[in-house]
Amino acid sequence: MRILMLTWEFPPMIAGGLAMASYGLVKSLLKAGVEVDLFLPTKEFVYFPLRKEEDADTLPFILLDENFQPRKEEVITREFKTIEEKMEYLGVTHVPETYYTPALVKEFSKMISTFRTEEFEHRSEKSIFDNIIINLQGDEDIFKKVQEMAFRAEKLSELIDFDLIHANDWLCYPAGMVVKKMTGKPMIAHIHATEFDRAGGPGDDRIHKIEYSGMLYADQVIAVSRYTAQMIISRYQIDTGKVNIVHNAFSFEKDNTFEKGRMFKGTTVLFLGRITVQKGPDYFLSVAEKVLKKYPQVRFIMAGTGDMARKILRSSASMKLKNRFLFTGFLNRKQVERVLKVSDIYMLPSVSEPFGIAPLEAMAYGITSIISKQSGVSEVVDHAYKIDFWNVDEMAETLIYLIEHPDECKRVGELGAREVKAIQWDKSAEKVKDIYQEMLESNRGEIDA
Amino acid sequence: MLNVVFYFQVHQPYRLRHLNVMDIGSDESYFDERLNREVMRKVADKCYLPTNKLMLKLIKKYEGKFKIAYSISGITIDQFKQYYPEVLDSFKELADTGCVEFLGETYYHSLSFLYNKDEFLAQVEKHTNLMVQEFGQKPTTFRNTELIYQDRVSDLVYETGQFDTIITEGVKRVLKWRTPLYAYKNYARTMNLLLKSYQLSDDIAFRFSDKNWSQYPLTTEKFIKWIDQLTWKNDNNKNQFLNLFMDYETFGEHQWAETGIFDFLEKLPEEVLKYPHLGFANPKDAAKIANYQQEPLAFPQAVSWADEERDLSAWLENDMQHNAIETLYELYDRVLAKGDPQLIEIARKLTTSDHFYYMCTKYFNDGDVHKYFSPYDSPDQAYIYFINALADLEERL
Repeated sequence: MRILMLTWEFPPMIAGGLAMASYGLVKSLLKAGVEVDLFLPTKEFVYFPLRKEEDADTLPFILLDENFQPRKEEVITREFKTIEEKMEYLGVTHVPETYYTPALVKEFSKMISTFRTEEFEHRSEKSIFDNIIINLQGDEDIFKKVQEMAFRAEKLSELIDFDLIHANDWLCYPAGMVVKKMTGKPMIAHIHATEFDRAGGPGDDRIHKIEYSGMLYADQVIAVSRYTAQMIISRYQIDTGKVNIVHNAFSFEKDNTFEKGRMFKGTTVLFLGRITVQKGPDYFLSVAEKVLKKYPQVRFIMAGTGDMARKILRSSASMKLKNRFLFTGFLNRKQVERVLKVSDIYMLPSVSEPFGIAPLEAMAYGITSIISKQSGVSEVVDHAYKIDFWNVDEMAETLIYLIEHPDECKRVGELGAREVKAIQWDKSAEKVKDIYQEMLESNRGEIDA
Repeated sequence: MLNVVFYFQVHQPYRLRHLNVMDIGSDESYFDERLNREVMRKVADKCYLPTNKLMLKLIKKYEGKFKIAYSISGITIDQFKQYYPEVLDSFKELADTGCVEFLGETYYHSLSFLYNKDEFLAQVEKHTNLMVQEFGQKPTTFRNTELIYQDRVSDLVYETGQFDTIITEGVKRVLKWRTPLYAYKNYARTMNLLLKSYQLSDDIAFRFSDKNWSQYPLTTEKFIKWIDQLTWKNDNNKNQFLNLFMDYETFGEHQWAETGIFDFLEKLPEEVLKYPHLGFANPKDAAKIANYQQEPLAFPQAVSWADEERDLSAWLENDMQHNAIETLYELYDRVLAKGDPQLIEIARKLTTSDHFYYMCTKYFNDGDVHKYFSPYDSPDQAYIYFINALADLEERL
């Protein structure tokens, strides 16, 4: 079984949880014998034929030339010392800024316009594609990047052979849809987050429409939690019959001993994630202000970047939180591990969190976690404090309780560590593989019929 | 008689490096050694060395008639020693001429007068000792950081028993109808005050090479004509002082050599001395020269020479600046109590006013100036590095 996996992030290119989820799933799928052709928004036109488990880390790739044919000699002659060096060569950073060329975007419009004149199987298919054409417009780079992804994916699908398309989040739905249209292969839309989650409000209408079209056109939909499945069904009105729930997990490196260290003498409380409205950084700040009034020695670390960083920073100064509220900026993997080593309590005050892998990793370090009830991760862990994101009083009280009862804090942390280590990607990948198998069988059935 | 009083501020801070939270506890230096060395070497090559050479030549040529004054912060002298000892030697040579006055200030170019009186006095004393040691002069004129002054400052400075004169900005809102050309007294009549003539000072410091300025290009002849015009209204034969105060880096750094700034400077004494009623003086001599009753001036609010506002807002306006400096001084008492000289030295380097200047969020023209002088991309970054330094410092206690 071979899957064309379309995703926007993959380590070492990490902007958020999508990278870690893609990685965990792909690695475990490979382990379970599923072959994966991975396609990413790289500057160079490449794809990654992954055949065995280790390939998820080494990322072997095939470069394509201007005629979309493999350039094998490049692969053989080039050697990369690190995976980061390789990704740099291919033109990806943790934020895929460099992706897209104006010339290829033009090609996308041409390609889509051929669909319009073509016979569509039925009216609804036409209206779904019309939706994509109408809504995938905009001067923002991101829309152009999505167009380019779709164009390239279609070219790639002519070159390689696979059984099934797996598209992750809206950025990859147009690509998945085009490939499905051209090849007739079944498609999965995997929902890691919707625009409702990201925007913390109504969000961008164009993106909603693309999400809706992608899910509608897909043969099966995977949601990362019950929380997300409910949202898909209630807000996007997707047929419940094709919505599957597969919880995320976390792949722990085998040699990670989850050793703890100290940076601060005082209790250290961590926020780890993008500093955007979705993640509730302002609630974290309010909790910090309340707790510091009682326990000024506590340290709050806000790790990550995002469009609310400046606002939170300025507010923390105006609240006179002294040197007790700190900002790390962007952290690479090694730095993330270090910040987890030195933290005692983790907080995830997300306004809307489809899943939330970061708490699993934090808990693996024995960090006691306070997580938003509005999160998918709260469905899979028991040994964490679950509080409504808006209830800053309860969060502050819980934090104060944990500061005053360090033994209890430690106990819950240890239970949580044991618990999350059992949440393995292998199990989730098995579920995904089952979905693949069912799809291929029913697809075969359709063709036979 | 109108006396031109040239005073130059010579100052370089110890800039913080890009200190991340993840570096806390790593025992690495807070300061960007490479950048600080680079800036010192660059500024010395463009400004300090060539300007000192020219000043020495002029002083010798006019045999005691050309006089100038400097304030060099203690941490600048430390950086001369660390990164470019020849610069210190050239200042010593100037000191030996007897025509150069060195002013007193806080060793760390700090705002300590606002937050910690004892620390202020200690930093002033430390600076005095350095001046005696390096230049053989015990300063009697005081210049607070960036010409910041208010009545309180004169009280503190008076307490030292060492100073009789303070220099500051000739701010309009204090002077009102008065001219900055007279020597004044502080509000308590315990100190002499010399006030900067900012129009003519800034003509050299800021506008010299500005091609959009209606007076561009500024020639020495034109400038001296303006100075001479100032004396026309003076019919009582009172001795006046034209206080031209500026960054020393004006020569060769802010205004590059190509702008002709050195030629302007070289011709200036000759042109001044052509007029019998014009001359040069050092700040310390002003009180003796003043042949009139000096009027006292009250400065209830702080003034400075920075930005359009000429107040403290360049350093202490937004929340980041306030939180940063208050946290520092709160921590400072604990650092002192611990008594580790190495930590005290670090904390003192953090009192340097530049750290707060980099956090300024004012925009328009002043924002440009702040940006020009800042080693960081944004005020927020400057704040983050500073707060991280304070977090690390606290853990070391």
